[in-house]
Amino acid sequence: MTDSNPTRRTLLRYGAYGAGAAALAGTAASWDRLTGADIPGRDDGSLVVATLGPAYGPEAVRTLTEGFKQVHPDIKLRINAVQAVDWSDFFAKILTQIAAGTAPDLVYVATEGVQLFAQRLGVPLDDWVKRDAEELREYFADVHPSLVESMMYEGSLYQLPVEFNAADMYLNHQVLERAGAGFPSADWTRDDFTALLRDMKQASGSQFTPYFWTNRLWGGVVPWLFANDTNLLAESKAPGGDWLWDSFYPAAAREGRGGGYRWTTPQATDARVEEAYDYLASLVQEGLCTRPEGGNGQNLIGVFSTGRVGVTPAGGFWAGGLHLAGMKGDAFDVQYFPRWRTQRMQFGAAGYALLRTSKRQEEAWEFIKYAARRDTLTRLFSTNQTTPARRSMLTAERYRETGPEHWPVFYDTLDKFPDTGPIPAPPQVAEVEQVLLKHTGTALASRRSVGPALRRMQGDLEKAMERDV
Amino acid sequence: MTNTQIPAVRPQRPAAPPAPAPRRSARDRGTRLLATLFLAPTIVGIVVFTVVPIIGSVVLSLFHWNVIDDPSFAGAANYREVFTDSTVLVSFGNTLLFMVLAVALQLVIALVLALAVNGRMPVWLRSVFRSAFFFPLVLSAASISVVMKYLFNQDFGVVNWLLGLVGVAPVPWLTSENAAMATVILVYVWQQFGFSFLLFVGGLNNIPKEIHEAAALDGATGLRKHLGITLPLLSPTLLVASVVGIINALQVFEQPYVLTNGGPGDATRTVVMVIYESAFEQLRFGAASAVGVLLFVLIMAVTALQFRLSRRFVHYQ
Repeated sequence: MTDSNPTRRTLLRYGAYGAGAAALAGTAASWDRLTGADIPGRDDGSLVVATLGPAYGPEAVRTLTEGFKQVHPDIKLRINAVQAVDWSDFFAKILTQIAAGTAPDLVYVATEGVQLFAQRLGVPLDDWVKRDAEELREYFADVHPSLVESMMYEGSLYQLPVEFNAADMYLNHQVLERAGAGFPSADWTRDDFTALLRDMKQASGSQFTPYFWTNRLWGGVVPWLFANDTNLLAESKAPGGDWLWDSFYPAAAREGRGGGYRWTTPQATDARVEEAYDYLASLVQEGLCTRPEGGNGQNLIGVFSTGRVGVTPAGGFWAGGLHLAGMKGDAFDVQYFPRWRTQRMQFGAAGYALLRTSKRQEEAWEFIKYAARRDTLTRLFSTNQTTPARRSMLTAERYRETGPEHWPVFYDTLDKFPDTGPIPAPPQVAEVEQVLLKHTGTALASRRSVGPALRRMQGDLEKAMERDV
Repeated sequence: MTNTQIPAVRPQRPAAPPAPAPRRSARDRGTRLLATLFLAPTIVGIVVFTVVPIIGSVVLSLFHWNVIDDPSFAGAANYREVFTDSTVLVSFGNTLLFMVLAVALQLVIALVLALAVNGRMPVWLRSVFRSAFFFPLVLSAASISVVMKYLFNQDFGVVNWLLGLVGVAPVPWLTSENAAMATVILVYVWQQFGFSFLLFVGGLNNIPKEIHEAAALDGATGLRKHLGITLPLLSPTLLVASVVGIINALQVFEQPYVLTNGGPGDATRTVVMVIYESAFEQLRFGAASAVGVLLFVLIMAVTALQFRLSRRFVHYQ
């Protein structure tokens, strides 16, 4: 009588065959998932737009796609909201996509990346702008030339700015009252600022920081450099750009404009740079501000809204941020950055850059125009999460619920101070920023640290600027 | 007893002809095929996800590549650059310092707690401690670091607030060159020691009770017993814990990246941070690969050294 039961070995063998077959079947079944082919709109001829995820929630994405579909029903659109903590993280992810051969057609790019994209990846918009000049006349009339100029590189325009943020000073009313101080005037000076910090410190407990700022390129030490009439890198303007200025801006507005900014020779050891650092180091030593941490300033909203910080530099984006954190519109206010040698302020702007690799450049241009329309931006920026690039959008109604009272400061930073300019962001911006953050941290350890740290910064900046990206 | 002399060396028998290689039966072939089938997914995985990237990194380290343009051959230029770049050299120093301090602290804490938990304690309480100590390990390092960044904030952090209650001045945990590395190590160890702890608990359970009982009869108690018996018998587990701990510590990234971003200055910049920054921020993928290759060599060398030394210090029952 034979044993009809299979042996252990037979069971194992058929088990292995079965497992192998199951693995192959599973792989085949999920092939689309594994290769990303099941992503809606992928490889279906859609125009792909990469945006900074956190700034573009589902509602914003819907706004863009549905609105664009109404205007251009013939163009398929896919918004790829890339999640990233900041612009450099965002660029890293975009570049990874490009390396992987899945480059988007359009990328939302801030000042930090304008020149890098322009130099290596972007398509100048000049011909389209000239062609559709009549259509764009209203747009340029509504947008400050400084913002437009910040999107130019070597005479060509690479982006239409849709938003910007200048580093103004936010002040907490509760803290001002506690210190018995009034709201500062528009032409307040650095010394007024220092005196205010001292008053705040005197009137508050140990768990209070009069001035808090984040160590980063935008809104870190750079506003102080600008106020002291200097910069991290020697700043000049590229020739050209007349084709744009002459077409869209009156003589007064186009005076001194060029073909975009050039940031070249590092000047970290410049006496005025050292003076600015020395001033910040003195604030740290006096306990009027702390040694700054890196980051994107997110952790600031909570401590500012609860009155544990008196003053901090931020842009229009904070109006929405503080409101979201539950702060009433009359609990804080905003003023220009204090004057030192000048009252020149800094900003960062953003818009859509068209990639050279795009096969749908005409459609992409249509999207760029659509994204810069007033109705689009009104729907997109309804929560005051940024400052619209269009002057006409800044109204009392917009800031009625969120505050601040002095909301005109946001755009007047450009209108009343025409020399206000973008943060220094050459194509080597990533390394420049890294060097700045690194040495700022050590420079502010004590006043004696400033000189040596700036000398090291100068050396590292020179190396960074010598490198071809 | 006989007078027969036994020759010192026996005459050699002629060597037997070598036996013909046994023919593999169909059953043997089936077994081999089966084994191959079972191993194939793992082998393919290792080749695709480990071997190929390693070879790719070595190749890429010989090129300049910025993602945007085509790669251009650089020869040893990336390596020369690495050895003359002060940031890279400092990051290697930081990483080695981090490795020594973090792993030592991790092992000591894990061992002490494992001995404590393994002592006289109700079973339910032992389970509670095991879970509690292991819990941080299953959380994301980035998430933990974000929370810790708030806790250790000089101005608004809970840690300084608590210290303030007992009259201690605020400590710049993350913004002082002297304190930042210690803080990063503290956060790292808090998250990682649970792994070594579990290994030690397992190792302690494998030590036969009779040995301890015999030692007790001989009068060994407390520290003497642990030094003379527990530690030698636990040495294989210690080896595993230290090898894994060192490999992990040499690759530390999330904690310094989130907590201090490598600062202040370069005080907490680690090798993997430099790799990330070179590649994804500065678009120098060749240089980043060169640093990666050097880190790979360093990890291999340290691990080989550990195994070499283990022959002297590790005792197997």
